[in-house]
Amino acid sequence: MDKTQDTAAEISLSTQEFLEKPESQWKSMWDSLKKNKAAMVSLAFIIILVLIAVITAIFPQVLPHDPYEQNMTKTFLFPDGRYWFGTDQLGRDIFSRIMVGTRVSLSVGVIAVAVSMTLGVVFGSLAGYLGGKVDSFIMRIMDIMLSIPSILLAIAFMAALGQGIDKAVIAISLVSIPEYARIVRGEILSVKENDYVQAAKVIGDKDGRIIFRHILPNVLSSIIVRATLGISSAILDASALGFLGLGVQPPAAEWGDMLGRARNYIFQAPYTLIFPGLAISLTVLAFNLLGDGLRDALDPKSRQN
Amino acid sequence: MKKNSIKKISSFLLAAAIAVSAMSGCGTSKRASDAESGTAASGAAATLKDTFTYAQGADPRGLDPAMVDDGESAKVICNIYEGLLKYNKDSTEVEPGLAEKWDISSDGTKYTFHLRKGVKFQDGTDFNAEAVKTSIDRQLEPKVTDDMPYSSFVFGSIKAKTGVKEVKVIDDNTVEIDLFSPETPFVKNVAMVMAAPIVSPAALKKYNNNLNEHPVGTGPYTFVSWSKGQNIVLKRNDNYWGTKAKTENVVFKFITENSARVIALTSGEADAIDGIDSTVVSQITGAGDKLFTSEGMTINYMAYNVTSDKFKNVEARKAFSQAVNVPEMVKSLYKDYAVPATSIMPSFMNPNTNQVKQTSFDKNAAKTGLAKAGIKSVNMITYSNPRPYNSVGGQVLAEAIQGYLKDVGVTCNIKTYDWTTYKDVVKKGDYDVCFYGWNGDNGDPDNFMNLLDNQDPSMNVARYNNADYHALINKGLVTKDGAERDKIYTQCEQKAADENVWLVVSHSKNLAAYSPKVSGYYIHQTGITPFAGVSVSK
Amino acid sequence: MIKYTIKRILLLIPVLFGVSLVVFLIMRVFSPDPAPVVLGEHASREAMQAWRNAHGLNDPIVWQFIDFLKNALTGNFGTSYYTNQPVMKEIMARFPATVELAICAILFASVFGVLLGVVSAVRKNTAVDYASTILALIGVSMPIFWLGILLIILFSGTLHILPSTGRIQPMLQPVGGTGLYLWDTLTSGDFEAFGDAARHLIMPTLALAMYSLAIITRMTRSSMLDTLNQDYIRTARSKGISSHRVVKHHALRNAMIPITTVIGLQFGSLLGGAVLTETVFAWPGIGSYTVQCIQKSDFPVVQAVVLIIATVYVLINLIVDLIYAFLDPRIKYSKEEG
Repeated sequence: MDKTQDTAAEISLSTQEFLEKPESQWKSMWDSLKKNKAAMVSLAFIIILVLIAVITAIFPQVLPHDPYEQNMTKTFLFPDGRYWFGTDQLGRDIFSRIMVGTRVSLSVGVIAVAVSMTLGVVFGSLAGYLGGKVDSFIMRIMDIMLSIPSILLAIAFMAALGQGIDKAVIAISLVSIPEYARIVRGEILSVKENDYVQAAKVIGDKDGRIIFRHILPNVLSSIIVRATLGISSAILDASALGFLGLGVQPPAAEWGDMLGRARNYIFQAPYTLIFPGLAISLTVLAFNLLGDGLRDALDPKSRQN
Repeated sequence: MKKNSIKKISSFLLAAAIAVSAMSGCGTSKRASDAESGTAASGAAATLKDTFTYAQGADPRGLDPAMVDDGESAKVICNIYEGLLKYNKDSTEVEPGLAEKWDISSDGTKYTFHLRKGVKFQDGTDFNAEAVKTSIDRQLEPKVTDDMPYSSFVFGSIKAKTGVKEVKVIDDNTVEIDLFSPETPFVKNVAMVMAAPIVSPAALKKYNNNLNEHPVGTGPYTFVSWSKGQNIVLKRNDNYWGTKAKTENVVFKFITENSARVIALTSGEADAIDGIDSTVVSQITGAGDKLFTSEGMTINYMAYNVTSDKFKNVEARKAFSQAVNVPEMVKSLYKDYAVPATSIMPSFMNPNTNQVKQTSFDKNAAKTGLAKAGIKSVNMITYSNPRPYNSVGGQVLAEAIQGYLKDVGVTCNIKTYDWTTYKDVVKKGDYDVCFYGWNGDNGDPDNFMNLLDNQDPSMNVARYNNADYHALINKGLVTKDGAERDKIYTQCEQKAADENVWLVVSHSKNLAAYSPKVSGYYIHQTGITPFAGVSVSK
Repeated sequence: MIKYTIKRILLLIPVLFGVSLVVFLIMRVFSPDPAPVVLGEHASREAMQAWRNAHGLNDPIVWQFIDFLKNALTGNFGTSYYTNQPVMKEIMARFPATVELAICAILFASVFGVLLGVVSAVRKNTAVDYASTILALIGVSMPIFWLGILLIILFSGTLHILPSTGRIQPMLQPVGGTGLYLWDTLTSGDFEAFGDAARHLIMPTLALAMYSLAIITRMTRSSMLDTLNQDYIRTARSKGISSHRVVKHHALRNAMIPITTVIGLQFGSLLGGAVLTETVFAWPGIGSYTVQCIQKSDFPVVQAVVLIIATVYVLINLIVDLIYAFLDPRIKYSKEEG
């Protein structure tokens, strides 16, 4: 959905200053991140989300109600002390459903980003390090993948493979590969000629070893920024597919899917629409703010601004 | 130099814009409404709006009465076409239509219709006995095709020796229809809005025997345009033989979402809407709009695919039905706008179905029964749109039933399709359980009970095929109205209940809403919406 | 410049070939046999064979791909499995709606995005700056479909001032012309219809543009700040050139280069976002149509839509790159992209 965040990251990222002392880079980054209130609040929010996802998975008893249990005598209850976010068209507790929905959204975000990051790093490293024909071949393939909007590719996948959140993950990860590949390739091109890389070559290190030991650690920070922002767009894309009714199978709880169903009840029960929407927006916002904070922390130039 | 490049860009953009417009060979365009204008509103209409906009949930499947079977189509078709007979406004008693009067031979097999004179189709050709013959013959063997779902229902089948044997043109204004055997519901069938309306033979020839997109009838409104997924525009037929329609234009708008339709009404984009459910009632009345409610001649049901491995046995079907608390579910989903069904036919129809015993809610029995049948998961298919018999749409209903089955340890996998697609999917038969409903067409018990004996799988979605039931239906057809006939259909009801072919859910009320400026709007018992008497004040 | 343009156009060929291959692989190789989906599992084997033959699905896969390419080049994407109408006809009937919406959205996002970005860069750390930052954050975090529904609730459901669905009142609908209603009604001088079409466009445009607006605002702001901090701008200022002049003639011009790129890239996300916007506002374009076709496994349609949108997107980015080269003479035309 947003190839631009990558451009933005590319433009403002300049990790050159830190290249010589990678260890101090992390400390300096953390110090500077700590000063960014918005990023710290977001980080705390994300940690809470992760805790919710993990705890509700292991101890579903902590939820006030069974998120899947319907009660036809208690449909559309207005939020109160017992049902904090009200109940939906089948009398299910919206609060509990949003809580378990956290797991779906977070895992989609994390898995999609993990897959695309891994593949992106591999392709980007190969392209950047080997250069020449390999480079143009890989980058041409990346161009192809970039030219199909992610939602559309996801939709095409679902048309072919059937509907489901797992296909959404495949599609979302595939379309984000080029973003990582481009970052890694760019960074590698700029550090390839550095003394210590050249030195490693002279000593006779293998290519793979050089990439992993000497080059990747230097690219890691930019990758982390991109990944944080990537999670937010993956969550947004997945919720969009859920909204279109292409996501989870009922009665599973997924934020986008809940929102899609709630469209019919905007008058009688606006809360069925408000809370899932807030859940998506706040989560995405938190990852965006954290990503921005990380980027600023890594890039002293943008911090000045 | 800087200014220069900005200039360059703007001239580039301008050139691009011109290129785009030139490529599409555009220039002038007209309004849809101008394209066929010429009928200026009369003086009296100064206080009336010239357009009535009606929002419904989905496109019609088509506009050829022989080729459709859904309510969306019926609502449009009843304004364009007419049949030989028509129903009274408030009931399913028949009245003269294109036929001024009719005689039935004493053995009940010969129907003679005396046609109205001087009637013309909207394409200018004459309505006559030949047109009646053409309209019916195209739905009989050998001409009938697979995509005519109502043909056998209304006119029977020559191959099976039921229904119409022959249509004879006596003279220009007299037509005789011979039946294979006496058929009590035939008179009511002739007034139906599916299959029965008379279509223009010239149009049939012109459009290759398919009027789905080019409807031509004799009705009060003429078809203008259909933008798929958006709207259908009709305009008044100024050559109509009877009382001319009050409003010049009728627009059917298609808005899928219930809430969006309500917004369309309250914001004035639509003058009337249907397919609403109880959740939006207060919003509508609060905005000062009016509600239309009436008893609906409907049944909302879930059908077991009796040819599927899981539900070929009656015990399995019974156990599944026992898992669902129908009264609780109906109350919750439809509030006061539907009653839990205890029979297939709604209570106000003849015969009285109070004695029919349905399978009732029994969670424990369901659990043991389902375990015994070895049923752990079930494939359900359903529709997303609201239907006349199910105002909340099929998905919510399916999910509610999924919830009840979860309580007894059965997983239901639900697949949802939009209504138009759903009809195709149902025809293919890849399901254990599906959701459907019926809006009665003619008030005759055969019209409901025949569904379980129909050979067309898009009508008989349970794919039920039972010799005893078949015999009952055939007996009912030839028996004259009265106590004996009532008994036959009560037996049909009980047989269907005992065999658990359907899980009957509810009988809905017709629920629609309209602006206070609208007068003359109503939904007929059969679910159709004739608009000739509707007017909208400014 | 001409050489560069030709080279860029030639480079499109492998990309478009690749996109066709990807689309073909997804639809024909990875997907299950469409025959039972279209005809039903209970259809006879003969019927399915006949159907596959009729749709060329029994040919060797390589031949199928060559056929697909050949046909795609001539704009022939086969017939829809369901309506039996040529896919191209179905798509072209809906394409103008999507184009009109996308153009309005990108114009809105670019104009206001650049404006907001410049203002917040020039008035850094003022209320305007903070407001635009918050707006940008909301823009990138709020799902389009949620924003769309909230807009409908507010403007149609509560205030009753904007229509909630559709492109125009049916009775005002222009016939013929380009299918771009704003243009058609304007050129035919039908101002009532123009106003109505414009009113229908407001909410979908807002919803669709919000995300891009946010990205463009942020990009403009940071790019402006970069150039404002450059030495020559400081020099210009110290020479006493009015700050308005500096911003307009020096800073913005240089900042425009990265901004143009972002706007081009945003078109991709707009075309993707159109799927959602069209669904929420019942906008009769190809986005909402595609969603309907997925349910039916109407592969030829999905295939064609993805290919067409990818082509449009690639072409737009080509145009953006050319404008970019135009704006910045320093670009080396021989530079390898990627």
